[in-house]
Amino acid sequence: MTAPTGPLVAVCLRVTDLRPEVDRLTGAVRRDPLGVGLTPADAAALELGLRLAETWSARVVALTAGPSSVDPVLREVLALGVAVVRVPDGGEDDGHGYTAELAGDEGGLARTLAAALAPFGPPDLVLCGDRSADRGTGALPAYLAHELGAAQALGLVSLSAGDPAAGRHLVGERRLDAGWRERLRIPLPAVCSVEAAGVRLRRAPLTGVLDAADRPVPVNRSLPVAAATGPGAGSGGAAVHLGGSRPFTPRPRVLPPPAGDDPRRRLLALTGALAAHDPPTVVAPADAAGAADVLLAFLARHGYLPEADGDAR
Amino acid sequence: MSAPRPADRPSTPRWRGISFAERMGTVDFRVGARAHITVDAEVCRSCTTRACVTACPANLFTPTADGGILFNYEECFECGTCYMVCNHEGALTWTYPDGGHGVVFHHG
Amino acid sequence: MAEVTEVDAVVVGAGPAGSAAALALARAGRSVVLLERGPFPGSKNVYGGVVYGRVLDGIVPRWWEEVPVERWVVRRSTMLVTPTQSLSVDYRSAAWGEAPYNGMTTLRCHFDAWLAAKATDAGARLVTSTVATGLVRDGTGRVVGVRTDRAGAEVHAPVVIACDGVNSFLAKEAGLLPPAAASHHTLGVKEVLDLPAGAINERFGVQDHEGVDVEILGCTRDIPGGGFLYTNADTVSIGVVVALPQLAASGVRPEELVADLRDHPGIAPLLRGASLREYAAHLIPEGGYDTMPELVSDGLLIAGDAGAMTLAAGLWLEGVNFAIGSGDAAGRAAAGALAAGDCSAAGLASYRADLEGQFVLADHKRLRKAPALVLSERVQQRYPGLLCDLAEGMFTVTNPTPKPGGLRLTRQVAAGHGVRLRQLAGDTLRGLRIFG
Repeated sequence: MTAPTGPLVAVCLRVTDLRPEVDRLTGAVRRDPLGVGLTPADAAALELGLRLAETWSARVVALTAGPSSVDPVLREVLALGVAVVRVPDGGEDDGHGYTAELAGDEGGLARTLAAALAPFGPPDLVLCGDRSADRGTGALPAYLAHELGAAQALGLVSLSAGDPAAGRHLVGERRLDAGWRERLRIPLPAVCSVEAAGVRLRRAPLTGVLDAADRPVPVNRSLPVAAATGPGAGSGGAAVHLGGSRPFTPRPRVLPPPAGDDPRRRLLALTGALAAHDPPTVVAPADAAGAADVLLAFLARHGYLPEADGDAR
Repeated sequence: MSAPRPADRPSTPRWRGISFAERMGTVDFRVGARAHITVDAEVCRSCTTRACVTACPANLFTPTADGGILFNYEECFECGTCYMVCNHEGALTWTYPDGGHGVVFHHG
Repeated sequence: MAEVTEVDAVVVGAGPAGSAAALALARAGRSVVLLERGPFPGSKNVYGGVVYGRVLDGIVPRWWEEVPVERWVVRRSTMLVTPTQSLSVDYRSAAWGEAPYNGMTTLRCHFDAWLAAKATDAGARLVTSTVATGLVRDGTGRVVGVRTDRAGAEVHAPVVIACDGVNSFLAKEAGLLPPAAASHHTLGVKEVLDLPAGAINERFGVQDHEGVDVEILGCTRDIPGGGFLYTNADTVSIGVVVALPQLAASGVRPEELVADLRDHPGIAPLLRGASLREYAAHLIPEGGYDTMPELVSDGLLIAGDAGAMTLAAGLWLEGVNFAIGSGDAAGRAAAGALAAGDCSAAGLASYRADLEGQFVLADHKRLRKAPALVLSERVQQRYPGLLCDLAEGMFTVTNPTPKPGGLRLTRQVAAGHGVRLRQLAGDTLRGLRIFG
């Protein structure tokens, strides 16, 4: 089914824990190998790749960088009749090298993936999910486009082959603010990242799954693994990056409904417009522990911390 | 007819600081496209016991103001409690979610 | 036209029963497909928390050197509680903390995956994320395979082993299990709480890989059932198991019962500061021997929870070992039938005989009346309070009033709980007959 030559569609998959725990203080990511899977966006990228390949009679290759613990997910991709290449994680197979902290060195990862793709010939299209669940920044496709010298269109909600009469190209749509969408005409070769919108990944046939169960996932070990140029390379969490984490949001505080018959008074009570306010307090405790105590007392006084439970969260 | 509104939903107080939504938020659900359980609200209208509302550990069954039952399949444990306690023939159709979807326990 | 794969045997469900069955078949040189509907073995499974590994001795030599274990159980407590009191019987054994060990706490996603890997290492082919949606039968009604939800694909085999769990739709389709039988099932609701290993060691009086198993009676309000508390490496599992019909009629939400238990004065100090890691629920077939389905029909065997193999007999709460025992026996029976070329019910009949001859059905048969006694009104509602009050009466110092006599106190307390001494003696005798 895969011709040795002809158009090539490559799909870059980030196979990782779908529900990683991000430490709110340090940004460190804790991953559970059992939680690995394709994010809906990566699954959409693969499905779109398969559809476009059918349209163009193209070959499909799926690329990923990661430890051997992601192989069960890749076998499911193999079962779809897609060629798969895994670039092993830097160093020990189950250690998290440069793929652990994507934010650390996406340029290096892009170089590695582009090199892994080289044996298949120049791709007409590279598809990615828009970002990974474990603090991915969504910047990898841009680096890939740079490496491959391709056009780029990121964060698409739909992607299809354009009318061949106008030359081979793609048509994609992207969200804008206020419900607007922009439609893009994308020349080839291109790198596109897509959101999980509109499509679900097809399921592999049982024979494909049984067939893939006996096959090892091809691993490309010949690459300059770890692409040891970036700050995140092989560092296993040495650097702290807070770029992808969200700030802690306190729980909403429940206010009793204001009493009184007069709507104006109720409104005033609710907004506190005419009420007396505590002036801002400037505290200057001597040490960090003292400052923490003052802050905790403030939060507790204003109902943001559960009372009495103490350390029960 | 307007959409049924939830009514006298059983209270779900914050046990030891955990709301029910937070409790369910600890569970990994890989939601499939197909609703694996469907509820026939017409049959439920004649039901007085409403056993599913009490017993479903994921609290997925909500009585509506018009006497029916509102059901969401997304956060289902696939335990089988609802069809076991339901005494109305045909009120529930129960299947497993499509392979690979549904609840995934990491600390079962 | 459905795509068909032909093999010697199909095993549905890669839980402990299914993996043991697939392992036995693969070792007998048979081609086996092991279907699992979750993304990995164990992903749909929940249990109380202890695996008794003796059953593995004959299957994986020196299994304890490789099994993914959280803690080895060296302390076993039985706790009777009222909302404000608790009375414990606590047993501790150093021997349980050394090879070959007795019980262990482990998590199902790790344990089930480990056993499934044994089966695939032996040559079984595991297919995850695939639901067996129904049985395939030939013209005579005999089971010859299963349909799956992958594009309607079918797997055909002379023998199908259904290890598809408590809701076993395959056993139901075959007419071996009733469509629904709430009274034979309990609902287990479990919280896994984060607690640092050091805190577990200090609070439960253990060290290193030692663990504790606590069974609790009297913590489920008016609903027949019980509670449990198990220590894992750096989490604890706490939960309740309650009878389905009474839960449904009670108007009490299951998570409320777990919250009650966590807040009990005898338990809350153990869990102080612990935060919820995962909430889970699962049904348990607790009807015992008398509610077990037929386990064999033409081309079909049933094992594990699908065959109601969970033993819930008060002092003994075991399931995984019964699943492994029955799955292994089913796999061996199927391999024998395949070798003999007869996979009819008669050809597979050695399965039942095998189970009767070993612990799986022998224990169930001996303890067949236990579920009824354990879930009876007096054992559930009266005895925990009665025994707690008895202990309170014995140990409360009432100076200057003299200490009460033991028998008088017993009579008084029993009467206070609406129990006559004759009933107490009768239930004791009944218990001795069942458990003795």
